[in-house]
Formats: sequence, C-alpha cells, structure tokens
Amino acid sequence: MGLLQELRTALQVRLTASATPGQVPGGPSLAYVLGAVVTFFLVLSAVTGLALSFFYAPSVTDAWASVAYLEDQVTWGWLVRGLHLHGASALVIACGLHLAQTAWLGAYRRPRELTWFAGLGLMLLVLGFTITGFVLRWDQAGYWASKVEVGIAAATPVVGDLVQKLAQGGNDYGNLTLTRFHALHVGLLPALTLGLVGAHVWLARRHGVTPRRRQGAGASPWWPAQTVRNLVAVALAFAALLAVVVSTGGAGLEAPADPTAAYDARPLWYFRWLFLLRKLMGPWETVAALIIPGLVLGFLVAMPLLDRTPAQGQGSPRRRRLVLATFFALCAGITALTAASLARDAGDAEHGKQVAKAEAQATRARRLARTYGVPPAGGLAVYQTVPMWRGRALWETQCKDCHQGKDRKGPLIEAGYGSRAWIARFFADPGGDEFYGRNKVAKSEGAMKPVELTGEPLAEMVELVYAESGAADADRGRAQKALPAFEEQCSDCHSREEGVSSSGPALARRGSLDHLVQFIGNPTAPIHLGEAAEMPRFDKDLSMVDREALAQYLLWLRTATAADVAGLEPL
Amino acid sequence: MSDDSGSDRRAMLRLTACALGGGIAAAVGVPVVRMLADPASKITVTGPSAPIDLGPLDRLKIGADPVSVPVVAKEIRDGWNAVQQVVLGSAYLTRTSAGDCTALSSVCPHLACTIGWDPGKRHYVCPCHESLFDPSGERVTGPSERGLDPLPVTIKDGRIYLTWTRYRMGGSKREPV
Ligand code: FES
Repeated sequence: MGLLQELRTALQVRLTASATPGQVPGGPSLAYVLGAVVTFFLVLSAVTGLALSFFYAPSVTDAWASVAYLEDQVTWGWLVRGLHLHGASALVIACGLHLAQTAWLGAYRRPRELTWFAGLGLMLLVLGFTITGFVLRWDQAGYWASKVEVGIAAATPVVGDLVQKLAQGGNDYGNLTLTRFHALHVGLLPALTLGLVGAHVWLARRHGVTPRRRQGAGASPWWPAQTVRNLVAVALAFAALLAVVVSTGGAGLEAPADPTAAYDARPLWYFRWLFLLRKLMGPWETVAALIIPGLVLGFLVAMPLLDRTPAQGQGSPRRRRLVLATFFALCAGITALTAASLARDAGDAEHGKQVAKAEAQATRARRLARTYGVPPAGGLAVYQTVPMWRGRALWETQCKDCHQGKDRKGPLIEAGYGSRAWIARFFADPGGDEFYGRNKVAKSEGAMKPVELTGEPLAEMVELVYAESGAADADRGRAQKALPAFEEQCSDCHSREEGVSSSGPALARRGSLDHLVQFIGNPTAPIHLGEAAEMPRFDKDLSMVDREALAQYLLWLRTATAADVAGLEPL
Repeated sequence: MSDDSGSDRRAMLRLTACALGGGIAAAVGVPVVRMLADPASKITVTGPSAPIDLGPLDRLKIGADPVSVPVVAKEIRDGWNAVQQVVLGSAYLTRTSAGDCTALSSVCPHLACTIGWDPGKRHYVCPCHESLFDPSGERVTGPSERGLDPLPVTIKDGRIYLTWTRYRMGGSKREPV
C-alpha cells in the first residue's frame, strides 16, 4: 500500500501540468526549435515513406527491381527516396542535438523524467527504422550491412541464436526477412513511434519548455511568435536536406544483393562509431558491439536518477558537473570514432577500389534494368538480360577454348563466321589454319581439296552453299547457276538432299539454326563430320534450349564485324 | 499606438507562419504527388504489339474442326519486370482456304469466360451462360450480344502470325481495349 501510494504521488508529480499550455515562459526563442525540427523530420519520413510504399514490393525477387524502377524510371522517385533516406540522417542529427540540448539545460530532471525516457525511446525507434529500412532495398550495401547487424545480435550469449532466427525470419536471409523487416518498418515501428511521440509532446507541453538560465520576465503565447521561429528553423533544416539530396543525386542504389559475392560492408554512418570500435577491440568485439552500446543507453536512462539537483531556478550546469561531463565525453567519443572511421576509409586505397568496383557494377545493373527490365527470377538475373547472354555464356565455357585464340584446337570461329566471304576463304583453302588446318581430317586421305573456280562461277558456288543457311539475303537464282558445277566437282562427297549423308558433311540446310543445333548436338553423326570429328557431342550436356541459344549466337556472328563483337555488352 | 504596432506585428507573424508552413508543405507535397501520379502517364504493362507466330499454316486442314492454340508473347513488361514467354490466352484457328485462315478469340464477349468447341454439334459454346456461336463465330443464342471476336491474322512464308487484341466485355459493339 505504501509503495503504491508512493508510486501514485510520483506519477502525479510527473503528469501534473507545471506550465500553462500554449505559453512560452520567458518569451519566444530560437532555443526551443529543435523539438519542432525533429517532429518535422518524423512527419517527412512518414509522408515520403508512405509514398515509396506505392512502388515497393518486399520480396527477394522484386525488392531491388522495384527500387531500381522507382529510382531510375519514376519521375522524381529519386528525389522522394533521397528525402526519405537523407531525411533519416537529418532526423538522427536533429535527435542528437535535441538530446544534447536537453541534457545541457538539465531538462531531463524532475518533473520531466518521463519526457526524457519517451525521448530516448523515440531515439531507439528512429535507429530501429534505419536498421529495418536499410535492408529493404536488397542491394549489396543494405543486404550486407543488415547481415552484419543480425550477426552481431546473434553473438548475444544464450538468446543470440533465437534472436537471429526471429530477426531474419528463419535460418537465412530470404523472402521472410524482407516481409518481416518491411512489416516492422512500415507497421509496428510507426505505431510505436506515434504512441511515444504523442506521450513525449503531450508531456513536453504540460511541463512547458525548460526555462533558460537568463530568463526574461513573463510568458508570451506560443502562437505565432514561437511558431514562426520553429518554422524558420524547419525551413532551414529542410533546405539543407534538399541541398544534400540534390547534390548527392538521392539515396543511391547499389547492385542487387548477391549472397555469394564478397562485399566490403559498411554500416550507415551513425553506426560507424560502433563499427570502428568493433574493429579496434579485436577479439573483444562482442563487448564493443553489445556491452558498450548497452552501457551508453543505460547511462542515458540513468541520467535523471544520477542527477537529482532540483530543476527550477537553480539549473546551473556546474551543479551536475559529473553527469554532464560524462554525457559530453560520450558525445565527443562517438563523434571522434565516427570521424576516425570515415577518415580510415578515405585513406584506404584498397577500400576505395572496392567502392569504385561496386559503383561500376551498380551503374551496370541499373542500366540493364532500365533497358531490358528485370526478369521475374529477381535482381541478380538482370545480368542475364544482356542480348544473347545464354549463348555467349555457353560459348565462353564450352566452345571458346577450341575455337578462338592462338591455342585453339579446331577451326576459328569469329565475326563473319559462315558469311559469303568466309565460305569463299574456305573454298580456297579448306585445310588452312583458319579451317581444318589443326585437325586430323585435313591430313587424311579424304581431305577436301580447294575448289577450283574463280570469278562469277566461284561466286555462284559460294551463293549455293550460302543459300542453304536460309539467310534472307541469299540470291537463289544465282545459286541455281552453280548446280552443274556442283554436280561435277562436289556431289561425290557432299549431298544436298535433306537427310542423306555422304562421305563428306551433308550440305542441306548447312548454316541454318536447325543445322547448327544438330551439329553441336552430335558432330560425329554421319550426316555431319562422321568419324572424322574431333569435336565432342554436346547433346548430353546441353539442352535443346542451350544449343539453340548457342546457334543463335553463331548466326549473329555471320553478319557481325569484329567491332560488333568488341562492342558487345560484357557478360 | 503600441497596441496597434503589436497587433500589426502579430498579424505579420501569423502571415509569415502560414507562408512558411505552406511553403514547406508544398516543397514536400509537390514531388510526392508528382511521383505518385507518374504511373498514370505511362504504359506500365505492355502487351505484345508485334504479331505472334502461331506456327505453320499447314497444321490446319481445310474443312476440319477449329483448333485451339495458345497465344504466347515473347516478352511482357510489367513495371520493373520483363517476363519472357507469357501465355496471353488462346485462339481458335480455322483454315478457310489454301492460303488463309481465321482466328477467333476464345474469350466470350458476354462476361469473358473461355469458350469451347463442341465437335458433335459443331458450334462454340460458353460454359458460363451458354451462349452459342456458329463455326464462323456468329452468335446463335444466349446472353452474348455479339458474335465471337475475330483476331487479325496474316500469313507469311507459310506461317500464321496473329495480332493479339482484347475487346471490351459485353455489349453488341466491338471495341478494342
Ligand atoms: S460469359 Fe459466356 S455466356 Fe456469359
């Protein structure tokens, strides 16, 4: 009963109004604007956040793509997103200043302890917003920073494992991580914030501003003199934010999260001090990551209990020397660590290289997303939207070694492969280095001999072979004229009838898509090279779709120039 | 006199407060609203405008029953996604002559159920409210106010190319959407 009674009295003191609502004791002042600035940035985050959610899709496959779309293809999307992200930084700064000023004025003391606690709670919520928000973009930066943060939480003794599983929604980062962080970010945290802001502002108004030390006589109404000061401060802060957003080009977006890539992760700048602390502490990093922030927070919470000097009148900071000294020493320490961490990175050439690499990759991924769209498989699949990606990727792994470069084992395949000029060169010297010169078949008894034609008859023969590919520009009339010569010189070894094989490769539909697909599938078939083939068959390793993709690339080469090949988008 | 200047000052302050507040709200509101309105002025979901290859004309025989074939778009853009090989729907193809065929949308013009072909009775029938259509697509009976919607086809190099078109549901007039 006694305890309850005490609690009631204590609460009564804290909740009873000690100031006239709507009045500023001592008159309006620019010293009271920080609360308004914080409130403004909170509202700004809510408004821009709601707007962003019109475009955002929280799933592993869509998150990055939807943010990239908003950033690069929606009018002023970059601006609103920039206001949201840099606005969060502004909010952290404003909260910090508000906190420091409150501490300096001793405004955390009786009867304002509850306001102080609510304020600390809000600050934690703000940090919670930034942690849950950073991962939502699902790019390299957000993904890896978040993984590290959850990893730190996982190092908590006893409950760490459970905390990690709860945070990431299962055993690893995935869809459930995003839905979870998204729900926290747009649902739970805003609701809690609304409640705490309500309490904080209500209490702040009940107790009025903390009078400054040199206080003028009397009080004047809040509206409009103090309001104008608040709004001027808000306008200046907003202008500064806008300048930052415009000059940095917005929030930025890195390449889509790649769980397999090595990435030099960095936290958001307001966690930099902990980041550096962890590095400095080496094997004691758990202490840095968990115990030190815990101690800092504990001290802030305890400040009204440690410093019990009366609030009104004698608010001289000298009387609370120790508490304030600790507080500002902490502030200075955090600021110094932050600056040191940033300076370290600035002076780290290796890190600079990583950043430049990440930037180049981000630019590329976003350009591809803008040009070709993102496949439903997700952000990482954006790299596969490069034209002829599949065929070219297979070429690199399956074909290149034997068909390109000095050390190749087979015929050269490059720009112009299968073109009229290529056929003419082949006719002139089938056993040449460009063709079968490096293969046994060129030295065999049945090796093809050069075609002994020149001038128009040669051109007609080239056209005859070329027309088999079904190329749209083939001149069939001209090709027909080569038939007698073909009968005479070639038909002993080469059949032109579909499905009929001969001692040499059949020419029916040679160079067409179907022919290439079949040839790649089994070059040792009698209709192709037969037993003379040294190239392995690929019909076991490559699916029909794969072989067709490869064949498409070869067909593209036919009309391509060396410059075209060099100009291809890198894989 | 001092009262006067005091209330003047207050009026000024009030005006300043409103102007500042309005200015800030506008500076935040304008980009936000512009961004939210962006999709309204864009084609966010593309349809295939190019004719779709439905295969060789010779798959159809003159005088035979109509054949239902899936219509597959090579690529659809939807916001940030580019989706390959999207099934758009199906069409009924009928060979009309040696070098030509017709295509009918399988979407019922009444309320957009998918119609079927009854080979015994040789008519199209909608399972939802039993609209009947003759082999050329003309309406026979039922709630549909018009016949089946034809889809434009062209024949090139012996292959059928179809231009995918959707029509407004219901009504006797055929309007593309
Ligand atoms: S939808 Fe076909 S008859 Fe109603």
